[in-house]
Amino acid sequence: MASPADLLYSKEHEWLKLDGDVATIGITDYAQSSLGDIVYVELPKVGATLEQFGNVGVVESVKAVSDLFTPIGGEVTEVNVAIEGDPALVNREPFAGGWLFKLKIADAAQKSALMPAADYDVLTAS
Amino acid sequence: MTTVNLRRTPLYDNHVALQARMVEFGGFEMPVQYAGVLREHDAVRHRAGLFDLSHMGQFVLRGAEIGEWADRLTVNEVATMRPWQARYNLFCGESGGTHDDVIFYRQEGDEWLLVVNASNARKMWGILQAHRRPGITLENHHGTDALIAIQGPRSVEIVGRLVAPSERESIVGMRYYFCARTSVAGIPVLLARTGYTGEDGFELFVANDDAVGLWDALLEAGVSDGLEPCGLGARDVLRLEAGMPLYGHELEEDITPLQAGLGWAVKFGKPVFEGKVALEAQRVADDYARIAAFTLEGRAPQPRMGYRVYAQGIDVGEVRSGAVGIGTALIDPSAAKVGSPLEVEIRDKRWPATVVKLPFYKRAKT
Repeated sequence: MASPADLLYSKEHEWLKLDGDVATIGITDYAQSSLGDIVYVELPKVGATLEQFGNVGVVESVKAVSDLFTPIGGEVTEVNVAIEGDPALVNREPFAGGWLFKLKIADAAQKSALMPAADYDVLTAS
Repeated sequence: MTTVNLRRTPLYDNHVALQARMVEFGGFEMPVQYAGVLREHDAVRHRAGLFDLSHMGQFVLRGAEIGEWADRLTVNEVATMRPWQARYNLFCGESGGTHDDVIFYRQEGDEWLLVVNASNARKMWGILQAHRRPGITLENHHGTDALIAIQGPRSVEIVGRLVAPSERESIVGMRYYFCARTSVAGIPVLLARTGYTGEDGFELFVANDDAVGLWDALLEAGVSDGLEPCGLGARDVLRLEAGMPLYGHELEEDITPLQAGLGWAVKFGKPVFEGKVALEAQRVADDYARIAAFTLEGRAPQPRMGYRVYAQGIDVGEVRSGAVGIGTALIDPSAAKVGSPLEVEIRDKRWPATVVKLPFYKRAKT
């Protein structure tokens, strides 16, 4: 599927949606499809301060453990508790119900290191 | 990866057309999944799944003395097998460690089929060659004969539709761990009531040239039953749940059948066989690290090969296989009793687990 145009993307296949100074973060459809059935997600703790592109958790599929990176820095304000009980939600709705965590961003200028949807789709098509 | 010249089975193009994700396994490019591991697992448990296992090593053995010859090289009994019977067995070294776990299929007259793991096929061919003697001929069919498995509760009915009416009753009624030469969809096969999933089903040994025709015929015949192509990812979960060992995990050159919980397959009553002295000593001492099955409590990450295992704070061994909530570990005997509490270390955190009896899954008897 084409990546939603209202999101920003990292080379590590995370997406970010900005609403004021709150960023919602997840992994892309390309990422969930490459991983296969997701069976466990380890998320950062609410209140934790994350550096942009830092390793903040893991996403596990049946076959592999993959590091989770944050596309932007800030303080974690919320994590998606629904995926604790139902990790496959990330497979089913990577851009919607399968979001991973929210951050109060530290520096909006960090956005410039991310890609728009068109560039991300070119990256994953190659 | 790019420097290795990977082999392909005759079904390679079918897998690509079915949008399989291909990975290296045992020197072959094999499908690890099609629609998804969990969905394929569900198909096998409730309907049926179709597997390409053409990477497995197939050796044809001929000679009047095969049974007696193989009895000296393996831990289980071979000569006592009846025509058209199949039997699980293991080849061990002098130290008792396992070269491979295999299945012998006895056919008519002096002909046998020996099926070995893909990753061990070269080694096993070398071992057989080293023990070759007059009156015994060995043919290596690895990569030149194909193997397709159909597994799951609907399998027998699906295959039954593709055999001649006159043979249907005997095929459907074939006993577990028996085999027959027959035709399926008009294609000559060795049809065996064996498998590696814990479900009923068949394995079909077929010439490479006939593999695509057989695969397509089975998929078409089973479509209304929910038959789905299944990859090695689902197969690994299915076999683990069924308590079946996987070479490289529960078995290794330095893991004996006794350690792997396969003592039932070691026939100490045989006068002599490779590894007997060492295995007898190990059995008597009974102090060896062994494979224990465990379940993890609550919602834990998936245990994986090499993760450390603790009992009362002491490192007692390591995980050898894992799926969601379950696994096997090679641990000290003091920690391996059913019901014993364990902890599995996953990324610096220890998760509570309990030793349980294998298998994790046993199908209801029909």
